[in-house]
Amino acid sequence: MKTHKGSAWKVGLFVITGIGLFMFFIYFIGEQKNLFGSNIRLRSVFRNVSGLKTGNNVRLAGINVGTVDDITMLTDSSVLVELIIRKNVQSFIKSDTRASIGSDGLMGDKVLTLVPGPGADQTPVKNNDLILSNPGIEMEDIMKSVKGTVENAGIISRELAVFTSKMNKGDGVLSKLISDEELSKSLKSTLTHLESSSGDFEKFTQKMNNGKGALSKLVSDESFGNSLDSTMLNLQSSTKGLSENMEAAQHNFLLRGFFNKKKKADAKKASALLTQLKKQERVTADSLGRLRKNIVADSTHRQ
Amino acid sequence: MFIQIRSGLSNAGDFIQFTGRFFKEVLRPPYEFKEFIRQCFSIGNRSLPLVAITGFIMGLVLTIQTRPTLAAFGAESWLPGMVSLSLIREISPVITALICAGKISSGIAAELGSMKVTEQIDAMEVSGADPFKYLVITRVLATTFMIPLLVVFADCIGIYGGYLGMNMQSGITLFRYVAKVFEALSFSDIIPATLKTFLFGFFIGMIGSHKGYTASSGTESVGKAATSAVVAASLIIFIIDMMAVQLTSLLT
Repeated sequence: MKTHKGSAWKVGLFVITGIGLFMFFIYFIGEQKNLFGSNIRLRSVFRNVSGLKTGNNVRLAGINVGTVDDITMLTDSSVLVELIIRKNVQSFIKSDTRASIGSDGLMGDKVLTLVPGPGADQTPVKNNDLILSNPGIEMEDIMKSVKGTVENAGIISRELAVFTSKMNKGDGVLSKLISDEELSKSLKSTLTHLESSSGDFEKFTQKMNNGKGALSKLVSDESFGNSLDSTMLNLQSSTKGLSENMEAAQHNFLLRGFFNKKKKADAKKASALLTQLKKQERVTADSLGRLRKNIVADSTHRQ
Repeated sequence: MFIQIRSGLSNAGDFIQFTGRFFKEVLRPPYEFKEFIRQCFSIGNRSLPLVAITGFIMGLVLTIQTRPTLAAFGAESWLPGMVSLSLIREISPVITALICAGKISSGIAAELGSMKVTEQIDAMEVSGADPFKYLVITRVLATTFMIPLLVVFADCIGIYGGYLGMNMQSGITLFRYVAKVFEALSFSDIIPATLKTFLFGFFIGMIGSHKGYTASSGTESVGKAATSAVVAASLIIFIIDMMAVQLTSLLT
């Protein structure tokens, strides 16, 4: 009984400290679950919440900004999820924000993620707003798509197996190209022949371009062309002279008889020769032109 | 054999009657408030050092002992959460209650037993004071309210011990440690654990008082009362703990 006066304050200290620590626990846990402080509520309707539970975290840009407060069934295919969001992030949540359900790691809890919308709407959400939702990704859906992929891969690998076996023992051109030794040998010899002949052709064209032979001169030497031209002219004038001579001879009486006969025959012959020459000249000029053109094309092609 | 069962049953019946008497008289004035404060001091404050040391060692040892298992999974970052969860849910309520069963329950039983043996209780009754009110109710109320507070102290000190245990092998700041602890905790951990400590405290006081109050005459029975109070209180703590676990798993 004597101790009680001195001990009363100690008991008070003990009790107050204990209760204070307990309140500290309660407050910090509540802080974690957003039970204290100012909050706003948001609602969203999902077709499937894939295991989301009351108390799961709500994340915006990877930061925990609130918790799932309530999950209620509306119809057989829609679930209303109510969220508690800290008031100080309200201005960052625009009214076109979408809610989607993800998973926190491989084994972790479900997490409700707020994804910003396309950005056209910049007005912040209000208390009790209904925000849109993205359908949650179900493991089953993933499995379905994986199954499709695997089936396709099976088809591809089967086709590939058939293809390779055909390639290995088939008779087609492609498989022969790959596997037939004979074909490759002949192909190789063809190619070497082609190479040597093309080398020959190169030499030929080189000679044609700067050689001294008649053909090359015909093709490339301008003076030769000129001289050919003048030869032709000379020929023309000489035939003219010949015809004049012939005419003079005709007028000679001694030879008139003979020449009368001869004249006819010669005239015939000369005219035939003339036409022939003319034709030849035309053909020559023609081929000359063609050859020039070819050479020009060839040289541009080579360049 | 039959006599043993019958004495056990009559003991239980006696205890239930005793508890009934407690509830009948607890709200009826006059209130022995000063005696209640004095009992709070001797039960709460005087047990704090013992509970603090135990809690500290439990947190430290639990952290060091759990680390290899979690390290095998590369999950050492879960250590604060795991240690604080096991401390708050189970270890510090039960360890604190067991220590109090040893220290307080036996103390009450010995004190009341010797009072009974030396006929002080009868003397009080003759002088007009209500010994039940003055001796039993104050003590039971004091244990009921002090044990939960002691458990809260043990929680905090145990978590701090866990922090030191963490820092023995890897560095972590106190702030990060506390943040991790509270990330892991939820109300469903702390509320049922706290509620069951009230029951622990109530039964520690109740069993001690009952054993002392019903001690038969003779100095020998004082020792017997103290021993059986410790045994019964420890046993009932585990039984309550089991029931509380079942109830919380049913409710949550």
